[in-house]
Amino acid sequence: MKRRRARRAHGAAVLAAALTLIGAGAAAGCSSISNSSTGTGATTPAASASSSAAGAATVDTSQCGSKPGVKATGTPIALGAIATNQPGTSFTDIPNMAKAYFDCVNANGGVNGHPIKYYIETEQTNPAQVAADARQLVQSDHVLGIVGNTSIIECSVNSGYWQKMGYYVIDSGIAPECYSTSNSAAVNMGPRYSSDGAVQYALAQGVSKVVFDQSNVPGTGYIAAGPAALAKDKNVPIVQLTENVPITDANSVAIKEVNDAGSNGAVILNFTPPEALIILQAAQKLGLENRVKLWGCSTPCNTDFLATSLGPKWNGKLFVNAELTPPGTDSPKMSLYKAILAQYGKAVQGGIGSFSQMGFTEAEIAVHALQSITGAYTVQSVNAAFKAVKDFDTGMLCQAWTYGDYSLHIPNNADYTVTPKDGKMTTAQGCTPISAVDPQIAQYRAAAGTAANVQ
Amino acid sequence: MRRLHGLRLSDLTRPRILVTTFLLLFVLLVLPQLMSLYYVDTMTQVAVYSMVALGLGVLVGRVGLVSLGQAAVLAIGAWVAARLLFATSQPYLLVLLEAGLATMAVGIIIGLPALRLRGLYLALITLMLAGGITVVLATVNFPNGGHGFLGYDGSLLHIPPIRRPSFAASDPAYFRFAVIIAIAMFGLVLAHIKTRPGRAWAAIRQSEPAALAAGINTWLYKLWAFALASFITGVAGGVLAGAIHYLYSINFPTQDSITLLAVVLMGGAYSLWGAVVAGLLYQFLPSLLNNWGVSADWLTILFGIGVLQVLTTAPAGLADQVPRDLARLGRRLRRGSNKKAATTAPAPERVP
Amino acid sequence: MPPWADFEPFIVSGLALGGVYALSGVGLVVLYRATGVLYLAFGAVGALGALTAWSLAQASAPGWLTWLACIAVAAAVTLGYGSLFGPALAKRDPLVKAVATIGLTLILYGLMDLLWTTSGGQARSLTLPTDNSGFTIGQITVTDTQVIALAAGVVLTAATAAFLRFTQLGTAMRAMANDREITATLGVPVRRVEAAAWLGCGALSGIAGLLLADLVALDATTLTFLVISSLAAVLIARLRSIWLTFAAALVVGLLHDLLTPVVSLSNYRDMTPFVIAAIGLLVLSRHRVMVQSREGA
Repeated sequence: MKRRRARRAHGAAVLAAALTLIGAGAAAGCSSISNSSTGTGATTPAASASSSAAGAATVDTSQCGSKPGVKATGTPIALGAIATNQPGTSFTDIPNMAKAYFDCVNANGGVNGHPIKYYIETEQTNPAQVAADARQLVQSDHVLGIVGNTSIIECSVNSGYWQKMGYYVIDSGIAPECYSTSNSAAVNMGPRYSSDGAVQYALAQGVSKVVFDQSNVPGTGYIAAGPAALAKDKNVPIVQLTENVPITDANSVAIKEVNDAGSNGAVILNFTPPEALIILQAAQKLGLENRVKLWGCSTPCNTDFLATSLGPKWNGKLFVNAELTPPGTDSPKMSLYKAILAQYGKAVQGGIGSFSQMGFTEAEIAVHALQSITGAYTVQSVNAAFKAVKDFDTGMLCQAWTYGDYSLHIPNNADYTVTPKDGKMTTAQGCTPISAVDPQIAQYRAAAGTAANVQ
Repeated sequence: MRRLHGLRLSDLTRPRILVTTFLLLFVLLVLPQLMSLYYVDTMTQVAVYSMVALGLGVLVGRVGLVSLGQAAVLAIGAWVAARLLFATSQPYLLVLLEAGLATMAVGIIIGLPALRLRGLYLALITLMLAGGITVVLATVNFPNGGHGFLGYDGSLLHIPPIRRPSFAASDPAYFRFAVIIAIAMFGLVLAHIKTRPGRAWAAIRQSEPAALAAGINTWLYKLWAFALASFITGVAGGVLAGAIHYLYSINFPTQDSITLLAVVLMGGAYSLWGAVVAGLLYQFLPSLLNNWGVSADWLTILFGIGVLQVLTTAPAGLADQVPRDLARLGRRLRRGSNKKAATTAPAPERVP
Repeated sequence: MPPWADFEPFIVSGLALGGVYALSGVGLVVLYRATGVLYLAFGAVGALGALTAWSLAQASAPGWLTWLACIAVAAAVTLGYGSLFGPALAKRDPLVKAVATIGLTLILYGLMDLLWTTSGGQARSLTLPTDNSGFTIGQITVTDTQVIALAAGVVLTAATAAFLRFTQLGTAMRAMANDREITATLGVPVRRVEAAAWLGCGALSGIAGLLLADLVALDATTLTFLVISSLAAVLIARLRSIWLTFAAALVVGLLHDLLTPVVSLSNYRDMTPFVIAAIGLLVLSRHRVMVQSREGA
């Protein structure tokens, strides 16, 4: 009896060991395949990365810091970030790119000689964990500022805590509170305003009906309110749909959307790239892509990878809202971004794209703010500096970026529209402000005093 | 002398009571002082999920019913508690009781028809019901301060947090509150085990036909177990609501029920300590790994290996296995002694 | 209630979805009949195979090689599991054996997320050459892949039913699933038959995984837990009749999609498999207590 049990235990141990070894070995091999495939599958980004990296290699990354070539050795300035990382959703590219920027700065003089020490906490969309991560950063890691947060629920869970502790967060927002509270200012537009942009473009093309379909994650009502206001203003009927993700039956979703939109209607999607991809692929397999006037998508669809996967049938058929300046733009800042990504951004898996662009922008803003501090680096001084950022040209957005002392922040409220063309996303429309018909946009512009600047 | 299913009824040795009491006092009084807030929050979750594991342990370990739907039951408890906390200003303990009772009612309604099934069918039907409840929750969402029966307002710009009791507002205080509630639930289960339900369950576990022949109303006692497990899980849901302040349907996916079964099996479905181990496995380990930057996937793999190991070699789980291994080690160390080692009866044969 | 014309396209897509459920459901019942194990890792193993095929395709391997690799990986993992844990758990309750496969599912699920990490904006997809050809019904195009999935379900159902009943190996498998010890005493080469059963299992999961990765999504979470929805059809057939499983799966798929245009129920349509399973099982058991005994296999 004992011998058999020993044998079974032996068997289990062998299996465990075998699996670990296989896993480790395969990870070494397979991840190189999957990494190169994220390179080759996303052919154009990787190709453009390598070619512009080659070009950018001539771009001196040392211009990210104030003293090129001089390593910073003073007392570190601690900053922190919280990002979602779970099967199916990973935003770690954003803080990882911010870290790449900070590494560059640290190697080139730091912030007035002080290096930046960056703590990244990951979470799996569990409110307890998200709250705990915030406390870890503030009370154990003693961070002076929060830069680079990207999480489905973080803003909702922690906005009260940041207000209490006096942190003015620079983030890439998703939850409503990222855009509706005093202590969070985002570099991106977030699902609501990005969807606004996509719907706005569709309405401008003269569609007679809008179907807005989004994933059923927290905040659907908040997100839906924007497109609803825009459609109502133009007297266009709008159908609001939600889908449980992950989607197991994309066919019925695609048929429903197309049926509801009609031949002169638009279907606007707000999903993560994998979900948007399977809906659009299902529509194509069913032969439905031409049954509506146009398809639209919020910013997550803005990847060359999606353009490649979708194929030529979607050229000029799918219009994606782009919150950030297209990476193909030729500008010194864009070259610097690609150079830093190539040199310091090994941990950034997605390569060139909106995620790493956001990380770059947030880090850029933070460093710019930190460099303006003259006295000691404390929680008060760092966050006062963040709040004081005004009209900063990031080189990555349509507008200059301002934090400011307002009760809500939507500093990025103008967008591009891009469309797939032969495997790449190309610009269909340049910088266009989001319509102030969305009440939150109107409220922000009034608070920031920018209402008059927008036609 | 036969040990009866992991709990010595005839001689609860004094050292064991002393150790347990000391441990509990330490956890209540000293631990919050020692831990950072990150770990205080984590240990609150451990307390919550120890209760869930306790409920599942009663079903799996004591009665031999496998439920693959406890995450959904937890969600129901949390939903009821959140709704009451937003809609009324009742004291927190009353809300917990109501959440437990409401969940118990749901458990009984489900148990009434479901208990006609046995074994694999019962496990699968609980999985089906959990799947259904998950979809409903995804559509109706958790209450967030809105009006109407569902209490959900989708367009809110600021979601209000779920309140905590006035005497346990801070994180360390709420941790103590959660531990005290957990102790109460463990006490409730202990009371059941030492009285008639416990004996009936043991008999049913051993052999249901024999129990029937002995005149035990097996259906009633199985339903009782279902009701008890649902009540405890409902209360746990109420504690969870106050702990995390914000509830989202994406936090209660169907696969969580599967992972819960895995950790309960690993921790040990029989002994009460097994439920605590399960809670630690389910919440403390992931938190620790997250802090160290290790991917949570390694834990998923570990849980899978753990399930296989438990089912093939250590049916009573870690809580039974580790003390036994330690005891065996102790015996080997005392090899020369004349003292007879306490004979341990083999683990019960019918293992889920 | 929407007009009838609105429901038409959903009949087609519903049958396609039914084909998806049938593939998993029939696979599960076939495996149960042959090995006595409810192989809940069916989806995870298939996903592992599909992701392997995807990786090879990214490395520019020819299509047929990637499919072969998918089936081979699935078969190898299943055979490994069966050899290591089959004998150890053979005498146990079917519930224990099923829970053990949950252990395998968790291991594979963690492994897949480690090896094929989720990264930012990337999305993996698997396409088969049969995606590009098809025919039109009404206004909907039906791809050949969907037809193959449905056909595979039918072929699998018929072939396995025949195999289990009429061939020697099939009869041996059924006997072993019923009672391993007695079968061994009758002189059946138990280990070899067992290995054949597990190998067949694995190959089946691989084929299903490939088709499902194309039809549903190439995502470890989706494919692994698709099994849960497929269990509905399996439960209605009470793990016994393969034909009933196939029919039930089609009904579940049809009903799921037919609810889509009904606005008040549309958001709840993902509940369809669970509700049908619950009702079906409770209705079927109302006159007697259902026990998972060995004779029931």
